[in-house]
Amino acid sequence: MDPYEIEFLGENRIISVIPNFSYDKIYLICGEFGPFRAGLPLNVPLWLAIMLKQKQKCRIVPPDWMDLDVLENIKEEEKRSRFFTKMPNEHYMVEAKLILGVAAEDVPNSSEIKTIIKDIWDIRMSKLRTSMDALMKSGGSYGRLDHLTLMEINSVKPLLPSAMDDLHRIRTTSKRPTTASLNTSTFSQSGSSQNI
Amino acid sequence: MDPIDDIELSEEEEEITAETVLKTLQSAWQNERLAPEILPHHNDMVECMLGQIQHMERNINKLPKTDLRASIHKMELSRIKFIICNYLRTRLNKIEKYCIHIINEERQRMESGTNYLTPAEFKYAQEYLLNMESHLKNVVLDKMPGNMQTLELNKMAIYPNLQTHVFLKANDTVSCVVLEDLVGDQDEEIDLEEGSQHILQYKPVADLVKTGKVQLV
Repeated sequence: MDPYEIEFLGENRIISVIPNFSYDKIYLICGEFGPFRAGLPLNVPLWLAIMLKQKQKCRIVPPDWMDLDVLENIKEEEKRSRFFTKMPNEHYMVEAKLILGVAAEDVPNSSEIKTIIKDIWDIRMSKLRTSMDALMKSGGSYGRLDHLTLMEINSVKPLLPSAMDDLHRIRTTSKRPTTASLNTSTFSQSGSSQNI
Repeated sequence: MDPIDDIELSEEEEEITAETVLKTLQSAWQNERLAPEILPHHNDMVECMLGQIQHMERNINKLPKTDLRASIHKMELSRIKFIICNYLRTRLNKIEKYCIHIINEERQRMESGTNYLTPAEFKYAQEYLLNMESHLKNVVLDKMPGNMQTLELNKMAIYPNLQTHVFLKANDTVSCVVLEDLVGDQDEEIDLEEGSQHILQYKPVADLVKTGKVQLV
């Protein structure tokens, strides 16, 4: 899948906004949201929050985890653990990118938060590369990837599965030397018939 | 009175909300994008959602153009249309690519009443194959010597690679998924716990994808 499709899925997450207008409940296909009361927070899907923000009709309430202390802890934990730690959110990267992109002024310490999320991402990606390397070297055809988020999985997608496919193909072909020799014999036969 | 009313879809047997339909469609789209082979269709869901969209569009037209609600609803509809279009297009791509194989398999499945394609998709596949055949005949084969004019369809068939590796997330706990081990002839069994994520070959989990016990990611 393309990264924009992962972003599309991430946009369905629910987040809190404070509108600056009042409106009745709105009945969307994906659920009902509202009523909108100026100054009172309410939950909406991320795509709607972004849209309202772009029309300057709301302020976005940063999610609980988008906080320097929380993120600092996550980063330390991620550094300490050999495994992937559980992220506060299945789409943390998408959410951070979108919120910090359109509503950086609604998030306190936004630039520090941006840096620290990028750090966490980098630590996790380097871990992911190391474990992919180990998986390939051990020649495994199975791996468990708990706590990896969709965007992280997607970032290794063209590479890892096709490398494993190739490994599998090499194994299956090397397992059947008989068919290979059959092929060469028919080839040499046809070659000799051409000579005649 | 709000012109856009709450939507509840009542079907003959069960009542499902538009929200559930949307979720099912979204996971069907994700699976279809990531599975190597074509999956059973979800035509009822697509039809149902298209009906919803039409209903919604009629209601939006009643609202004044500048109304904020109208633009919110339009945005949501475009998002849903994107999923549906992408879903159907992905299926058509697979049908074109594995055309011969899919038609052969589908004929057998139709006998047992477990068809994967919708009637329209099946018609499309057959017409695509016919067009391809007549094109090849007109352009090349008719100009070849008589003994080379036959078109061997089964030799041309492209098969999806079911051995390919996929990422998945388990929706339910599934125990004893057998992974074939080609080298040591020792099959391995693994358990998929609810919510866990794995990378493995598509073939052992193909049925689990079709029954919705696992979700490809």
